[in-house]
Amino acid sequence: MRIVIAEDQVLLRDGLRRMFTDAGHEVLMAVGDADSLRAAIGEHEPDLAVVDVRMPPSFTDEGIRAAHWIKSNHPEVGVLVLSQHIESAGAVDLVSQSGFGYLLKDRVLDIDEFLDAAVRVEGGGSALDPKVVATLVSTELDEGVGSLTPREKEVLSLMAEGLTNAGIARRLFLTERTVESHVRSVFMKLGLSGGEDGHRRILAVLSYLGVGKSAY
Amino acid sequence: MRPSRLLPWVLLAIGLASVGLAFAFSTLAGDDGDGFSTIIVVSAGVLACLGVGVLLTVRLPRQPIGWILLANALVISSIYLAASYGQYAALSDPGILPVSDWAVLYSDASWPLFFVGVTAIAYLFPDGHLPSPRWRPIATVGALSFSCMILMTPFNRDSFSAPFEEISSPLPTLPEAIYTPLASVFLLGMAVTLIGAVFALRSRFRHSDGIERLQIKWLALAAISMPLTLVGCMVEGLISGDVGWVTFLGITVVQVVVPVAIGVAVLRYRLYEIDRLISLTLTYVVLTILLALGFAAIVLAAGVALGGGSTLATAAATLVVVVAFRPLRDRIQDKVDHRFNPDRYEGLHQVDQFLTELRLGQVEPEDTGKVLAGALQDPTLQLFFWLPDENCHADAGGHLVSELPESPAGRTPLRRGDLRLGTLFHDEVLFDRPGLLEDVILKAGMAIEIARLRVEVRRQLSEVQQSRARILAAADEERKRLERDLHDGAQQRLVAIGLELRHLQHGLGKEDVKISQVLNSVVEGLAQSIEELRELAHGVRPSALDQGLAAALRELAARAPIKTDVEAIPERFDDQIEAAVYFVASEALTNAVRHAGASRIEMVASRVNGDLILEVSDDGCGGAVSVAGSGLAGLADRVESLDGRLLITSDAGNGTRLVAELPCA
Repeated sequence: MRIVIAEDQVLLRDGLRRMFTDAGHEVLMAVGDADSLRAAIGEHEPDLAVVDVRMPPSFTDEGIRAAHWIKSNHPEVGVLVLSQHIESAGAVDLVSQSGFGYLLKDRVLDIDEFLDAAVRVEGGGSALDPKVVATLVSTELDEGVGSLTPREKEVLSLMAEGLTNAGIARRLFLTERTVESHVRSVFMKLGLSGGEDGHRRILAVLSYLGVGKSAY
Repeated sequence: MRPSRLLPWVLLAIGLASVGLAFAFSTLAGDDGDGFSTIIVVSAGVLACLGVGVLLTVRLPRQPIGWILLANALVISSIYLAASYGQYAALSDPGILPVSDWAVLYSDASWPLFFVGVTAIAYLFPDGHLPSPRWRPIATVGALSFSCMILMTPFNRDSFSAPFEEISSPLPTLPEAIYTPLASVFLLGMAVTLIGAVFALRSRFRHSDGIERLQIKWLALAAISMPLTLVGCMVEGLISGDVGWVTFLGITVVQVVVPVAIGVAVLRYRLYEIDRLISLTLTYVVLTILLALGFAAIVLAAGVALGGGSTLATAAATLVVVVAFRPLRDRIQDKVDHRFNPDRYEGLHQVDQFLTELRLGQVEPEDTGKVLAGALQDPTLQLFFWLPDENCHADAGGHLVSELPESPAGRTPLRRGDLRLGTLFHDEVLFDRPGLLEDVILKAGMAIEIARLRVEVRRQLSEVQQSRARILAAADEERKRLERDLHDGAQQRLVAIGLELRHLQHGLGKEDVKISQVLNSVVEGLAQSIEELRELAHGVRPSALDQGLAAALRELAARAPIKTDVEAIPERFDDQIEAAVYFVASEALTNAVRHAGASRIEMVASRVNGDLILEVSDDGCGGAVSVAGSGLAGLADRVESLDGRLLITSDAGNGTRLVAELPCA
């Protein structure tokens, strides 16, 4: 992958760059603010942009605004937004677009899963932080979710995180066929339709869980 | 010193010398007690005229009134000197001193001179001019009659009055047939002039206004002493059958009071006091008469009932008089004021009415300044209250006034006991009317004190309120800083360290499995620490607040373990207001989950008439109360510091409904 990184903290920026390089990816540029990021995207047309939410000058939502900009100006570039904490629904809602990911920053410490998510986003898939998914998938919230078995709930959560059937199968140490049957069962119980795999399925799941309704 | 400047002092010296010499001759002539009282009376009159005359002529040399007074003093003192000189030189030790017969003649024939000064003043007072040109003919008649009479009287002396019957005049005597008709004509002229003087004054008063009217009032007040003295003399004459101390005192007072009143009027010194003096004089005259009559009536009635000469009757009458004194005086004063001192009456009346309305709660004590301006008829008047804590004045609105106004220039400090209430800024003219100013201030004292206290309390309250808001704002700012420090500082650093370790791990060879395992567990520990830090920071202040209240409330609802519906306007508000509303919502949510056993919560943030209103309701067991020190009480403090309020309805069994209202511009 050809990657551009936007992260204002030097230590972390270097760490990310090294991590991607160690994994055999090419880091084209690592910048410290949103304006430089926009310039770098225009210049390099990378496969993936890894963007910190809080950046200078105001340290509030520069990263999210830059992500919006990238998605509307360079839709083919995958955007992976990193945050120190769960931001407002607005950031999460971006995930309903293809080629977008939203993860807490410390997910990078689990390098395999993180790279997996990065690859998914680069390929037009999505990645939603498990912590966000956990608040979405809550038995008390919804009768439909309440009717799922624990295994089916796990599958639903991983679908929401953006994993493919193969990814889910790897994560749960199951065969893909078993995962497929769980997915079918979940879709039936929740009354969803949206295909067996791919982005439309993620959209259906996320919209069922309430993501995207309050997009701004 | 120019001659005109020197002249008054020369005349004063002559006058004083005359009195002194007259006193000396009178003593040499071996005078008795009667002579002594005469000296006092004459000296008092002469000294008063001299004093006021000098004062006027030095200050206003062009004004004739002062010169007339000086001349009058010299006339009186010279006549008196001539009389005592004649007494000694002609009667006691004849032959030692010369011209004793001329002195006797002067003292005996100069009586028309007595009237000259008084008449001239009556025509020329207070400005030194006749009331109008129409008075010129009568003034001419007066001048002619007086001059001719003064010139003629010395030639009518075949014999002198007692005790100079034996002395013969040094001048020839006019025949009776010539003297009598001429004298009648001149006397008539004098009489007309004198009567005219009364009318001149009356006409002047009628056409006067403002200051001139006050000046004439002063003269009139002094003139009251004349009929009073006359009545006193008559009463004394009736009772003792002789001339006694009442007459003596009365004449002395008249002699002094008239020139002093003239001086006050012409110099315009404390001119405005006149209304007060007149009303005081009248009040006490009427009061004395009424009390005396009452006393007499009671003594008489009780005497008839109990038998003559009863001390009990006297005691009872005294008691009644003592008890009746104050209320009676107040009532008479009020009536007299109404008629003769309308400004004071009206002013006090206005203040009185204000105090009544204040008691009934119909007006605010802060209006005291306006009422004083009305009562003292000074639209420029301003009232400032003294705040000892601030060491500064404040206006009725509670605003500190560090630079007090230059005008109006009059300022009167207001006190009540030892307490400094403030300062009244007013027109300087009011200083000439202390009766009005002081009485109105005294009457309004209570209102001023209440107003000052209210201003002080209001200021202190707002100070407390502001400091509470400041403390909260500082605490919020501190939370924000702490949250940033945790997220952007410690947390990120730990992530960076973790990445560093991962890099290290990446470079390890296949044989270093053990080290790799250790590194794995270290990084896991780091991830846990980061998660803990994140929760800690969230508790300090949710970052979602940066995205606005609506986002923060939704994030709050998403974290809640029970179904929570949020309806929030997207509008942004002041940081403090958003934080307050967020913490109220958070606390309400926690209570609903922890204590109320609710299964559903509804949060609505809306804007109603400029207020941000948060309503949190649950379907729990209710019965929530705000106890001091509890989370709810702390939130109420927070909301109130922003001028808002927190309402909790929580009947047992009906769920809890919490409403926070925050005004926002």
